[in-house]
Amino acid sequence: MKMVIGGTFQGKLAYAKERYQITDGWVDGAQCEVAALETCKGVYHFHELIRNMIQNSEKEQSWITGAEDQAEAFAAWLYEKNPEIVIVTNELGYGIVPMDRFDREYREMTGRICTALAKRSEEVVRVACGLGLVIKGTKETA
Amino acid sequence: MMHLITGGSGSGKSAYAEQQVMEAGEKPRIYVATMMPYGEEGKMRVKRHREMRREKQFETLECYTNLAAVTIPKGSVVLLECVSNLTANEMYDPSGAGADTVSAVVRGILNLKRQADTLIVVTNEVFSDGIVYDESTMQYLQYLGEVNQQLAAHAERVTEVVYGIPVALV
Repeated sequence: MKMVIGGTFQGKLAYAKERYQITDGWVDGAQCEVAALETCKGVYHFHELIRNMIQNSEKEQSWITGAEDQAEAFAAWLYEKNPEIVIVTNELGYGIVPMDRFDREYREMTGRICTALAKRSEEVVRVACGLGLVIKGTKETA
Repeated sequence: MMHLITGGSGSGKSAYAEQQVMEAGEKPRIYVATMMPYGEEGKMRVKRHREMRREKQFETLECYTNLAAVTIPKGSVVLLECVSNLTANEMYDPSGAGADTVSAVVRGILNLKRQADTLIVVTNEVFSDGIVYDESTMQYLQYLGEVNQQLAAHAERVTEVVYGIPVALV
């Protein structure tokens, strides 16, 4: 598992395609089903997939309750199904706490899930201005 | 020794900070809690953080403003969480420093640093959503940005936690 993270419009997907030499087999997290993660080579707009997951859930209780356990369970599932997946996602947590409850939960959940995934990833690269900084990786890749 | 830890929401910075405390050895552990628990969600957050600390033998000190008046056992390991709450308290709470927020927060934290063996301070990266807020919130962002810069200048270590990964800034 590998992650490419950073702000929006930073060239993360192009960077990921180039670095991992993956041209086909990408799915768009804004549009795909969660099940598509099991077979794809990579997913981009992964944060949008998390947004859809929360929006489509029947859950009435706050997502903040047990957020870390849910995030761990999701990350464990994904790692088991597709340990080679490349995940391209925005970092969302760098602002004022949103007034809207959904926005707060979406932001928090994205952080928790990405933290749980980063723990399992062999490499995490942070991209700004199209340039990658390896923040987790082996000596050879850093 | 002061270690300033920053990061975004849900970045795992609290867990990392507690790990730093545990690695500082078998000394008295003080947790300085600064969050006034508002509403259901706030209570839940406080509860979650309390559970994380329960088995780690922290003594919790609730202090919402004026840390400059706080006395702690000498030689202890102190975890202060978090500077963004403390800054909001000083700025908005009637007991706070108001226009003198920046120096009140920094003085208060340096007071802890003088007494502690190790001080772990958690702050928050809230500056990059590109939204222009109302005047008061922009003032808050400016205060917190200034506080973070001054604290970093006094810290022996500064770390940004990104999805659980520590990135050393100093």
